[in-house]
Amino acid sequence: MVTLEAHGIRARLPLGFEGRIFRRQTVHDEVPRPVAHFATVAIPPDASDFGGGLVTSLKSTDVFVVLFEYGPESVGRALFATEGLPRRLAADHFRPYTLRRGLGGQSGTQWFFTENGRPFTLYAVLGSHARRHSLVAPVNSLLHHLEVAPAAPGRSAIHR
Amino acid sequence: MLVLVIMDTVVVVLLAGLVAGLLRSHADILRALHSLGAGVGDPSAPADPEVLTSDVTTAASPATPLHIGPPLPGERDSWSAHDIEGTDPGGDAVAVSVTHTAHLTLLAFLSSGCSTCAGFWAALGDADHGGLPTDVRAVVVTKGPELEIPAEVRRRAPPATTVVMSSGAWDDYEVPGSPFFVLVDGRTHRRMGEGVARQFSQVVDLVRRARADAEGPDRMPRPGAVPRPDGKAREALNDQELIAAGIHPGHASLYPESLDDVFSGTPDRPEGSRPAP
Repeated sequence: MVTLEAHGIRARLPLGFEGRIFRRQTVHDEVPRPVAHFATVAIPPDASDFGGGLVTSLKSTDVFVVLFEYGPESVGRALFATEGLPRRLAADHFRPYTLRRGLGGQSGTQWFFTENGRPFTLYAVLGSHARRHSLVAPVNSLLHHLEVAPAAPGRSAIHR
Repeated sequence: MLVLVIMDTVVVVLLAGLVAGLLRSHADILRALHSLGAGVGDPSAPADPEVLTSDVTTAASPATPLHIGPPLPGERDSWSAHDIEGTDPGGDAVAVSVTHTAHLTLLAFLSSGCSTCAGFWAALGDADHGGLPTDVRAVVVTKGPELEIPAEVRRRAPPATTVVMSSGAWDDYEVPGSPFFVLVDGRTHRRMGEGVARQFSQVVDLVRRARADAEGPDRMPRPGAVPRPDGKAREALNDQELIAAGIHPGHASLYPESLDDVFSGTPDRPEGSRPAP
């Protein structure tokens, strides 16, 4: 099982998944935050944060997952009040209209939460809404093996 | 006169001995070459056990494969494929799946300093990936940052091609040097072929043939199929259409405050104003 680790995010990838944990180049005063992409298809190096340039290549057996971190100013906001990364999604959590880009047949879900003092959104896309019951399994397998290090400096241990 | 005859006889005997020794030495060399599988003449002749005494099996075998480097672990063979794990030229973590996928992956093992590699970097940076079939994914693999110059790799990295810096991948695929290419079938998790090339067109030709062999005519892309725009091309197309419709950056319609704004036309707000976050 391949293990990816960068920017305080560690993922052990289930078979068939590839991944990328990165931070974009700084533009002007912008402070880029870590983004993690995981997919069962090839992830192009120029894929946008929420899968632009990638989701069109999803086939009916594929999945795509994004873990996107927000700035520390978001901690404590109502949107990020949920504590902890969702580890087990249900097929019913996926909706054809919860997609950044509405592509026929696909299905998505998005969650906002705070994990170890770091605000995130998790966005997952299934290549086929009809197959959501089987496709949610590899997504959950990935989520089970995702770890986020605490935000506080000096606390480098990664907790699940 | 007698002295001359005796001297002549001695010289003839010495020369005969010299020729016999040379013939014997030549025969020994030929036997040794046979035992290594590189001999000429009759390869079925058994090797002289006095020549190679370290390996009994080589004496009976007409052609013994020559192994270089340590033996492979039991679970691996020269056809096994491995996923790639490393960093991108910017130092971020990347893992590329080449097994358990539905496509072929061409792994191009290149380095920033090799002059032969320059043409391959350039070809992979072309819009059409040097003519590589569109359903074959190209991945450039350099050695890790400890053995490469990340800034040089970053300078050469084609923008639309995944580049992974991983010394472990070079070990996994037993890459003898750069440039080196490996074609992996993600469905069978096996290498379809590997080797070196001087020009990218040779690689493309071999990939096409290998793909045609593996997939047959039914899996080939339909002629005339038009790919849907995506990524930057789709973004540019969207921008063109919005500008043509008079919607520029900051236009009020881009910042609806309610569903009524979305479904009842342009919101009643001046252009450039955006709601507070």
